[in-house]
Amino acid sequence: MEHKIVDHLFRHHYGKMVAILTRYFGLSHLETIEDAVQDTFIKATLQWRKQLPDNPEAWLTKVAKNRTIDLLRSIKAEKNRVEKFMPVESSIPFNELFLNHEIEDSQLRMIFVACHPSLNPKEQIAFALKTISGFSTKEIAAALLIKEDTIAKRIRRAKRTIIKNNLAFDFPHPNEVNGRLVRVMEVIYLTFNEGFHSTNKEKLIREDLCGEALRLCKLLLKKEKFRSGSMYALFGLLCFHASRLETKTNAINEIVDIREQDRKKWYFPLIQMGNEAMNKAIEYRDVSIYHYEAVIAAEHIKAKSFEETNWENILNWYTELQDLQPNSFTLLNIAIVNLQLNNFETVIAILETLPISDLEQRAYLFYGCYSEYYAKRNDIVLAISYLDKAISKTSNNLEKAYLERKKEGFRKLS
Amino acid sequence: MKDFMMIFIGASYEELGLSPEELQGRMGKWFAWGDKMGKQGILKGGEALVPNIKRVVGSNRTVTDGPFADSKEIIGGYYIVSAENADAVVKIAEDFPDYDLGGTVEIREVMVFDK
Repeated sequence: MEHKIVDHLFRHHYGKMVAILTRYFGLSHLETIEDAVQDTFIKATLQWRKQLPDNPEAWLTKVAKNRTIDLLRSIKAEKNRVEKFMPVESSIPFNELFLNHEIEDSQLRMIFVACHPSLNPKEQIAFALKTISGFSTKEIAAALLIKEDTIAKRIRRAKRTIIKNNLAFDFPHPNEVNGRLVRVMEVIYLTFNEGFHSTNKEKLIREDLCGEALRLCKLLLKKEKFRSGSMYALFGLLCFHASRLETKTNAINEIVDIREQDRKKWYFPLIQMGNEAMNKAIEYRDVSIYHYEAVIAAEHIKAKSFEETNWENILNWYTELQDLQPNSFTLLNIAIVNLQLNNFETVIAILETLPISDLEQRAYLFYGCYSEYYAKRNDIVLAISYLDKAISKTSNNLEKAYLERKKEGFRKLS
Repeated sequence: MKDFMMIFIGASYEELGLSPEELQGRMGKWFAWGDKMGKQGILKGGEALVPNIKRVVGSNRTVTDGPFADSKEIIGGYYIVSAENADAVVKIAEDFPDYDLGGTVEIREVMVFDK
């Protein structure tokens, strides 16, 4: 029999409990709190073998609460030797912290802590995935394709910084909120991209990362004070991208590019959610890169086939995006779109001046674009030689395999 | 039909550092297995054991507290099932969820005393 526990209940519950207890005990006890919450799940795993509780979530909450009271006692005993211990959050009765809206409140505070400017961006993502999203160090390492040791170090460093700087478990000052939200959105965006552009073997890991980004974005949008055009646009963008997630790889986990993706399988409810978010976004006056990226993603989704893509519109959006926030990736995209429009001179002019080093590990996209250019000009020899360059620039096996298949296609043409 | 004890030996979940997601997955498998045996009417009982260990050894009744050096090999719990013979229990034990974590199932027949 399938057990009736909601997917990811433990993982999501982890983030909730850690947030609530941190609100009560303070960030300086984060380590102890995480251990206590982890204990709750071990206990559940053993006790639920025989019989599931009627309300698993309530059970977990109750056990976590009791565990906390034990914790409080031991912390008190320890503190009594030096000072009188007072819970950090005493304005709300302990029990009320476990009400839904207070849980959300606590989780939002944790998001702002994770995205605090005193943490470096890499630490922010690792810390957020652990503390807010309930991934283990091992899972984060697998998701980000980074060594487990490195992730553990980043999380430790983040925690040290939080304690050293005595960060409060609170929302930023109203004057700072907008500035801080910029970083929050970046972290959400990066988390999503890690999932979306990842070539991880495990489809589940990719979905989890994208799902987390969507969940956090949604959580922020629940509160009026965190809403903005940018936040809605970010949410819209994530929805549009996520609708294609399923079709980005095939059954044997090969990359399928947008030209070949089965557009009928793009997930309509997410597209609808994206549209609704964009309608909300335009009610605000702020404009961000997310607006443009969302509109571009929507243009792709609107096209019934690759051939019917409105490249002129997309080119306009990219050009405006480049004006708003110049970026080498956008420039490369402008070249790629121009290639679709057969504006060959423009393509070459851009590629010749584009600073390749900006593209870092994704430089293969640059050589891939060159290759496409020569293919379109019927110079298959050069097209293949640029593909070889692209292949030599990627260390990722999935991308390598994708490029190799492309090369095979060119060979047949020559 | 005879009674058999399946004894589960391995490292504790705490020790293995499983993530919440993994724990939920484990729990689901354990529950499904218990449920299956329950429906077949072969499950007679069983418990999970807390990993804290106290040992009393020797004629001096020397007491030592765990963890011990061999704590990767502790008894985590047991089930008692009724079956035709040990081979049938081997079949039942195929569903034990923790082989991939290095877990072991030891099958022992419960002794019946002649009256």
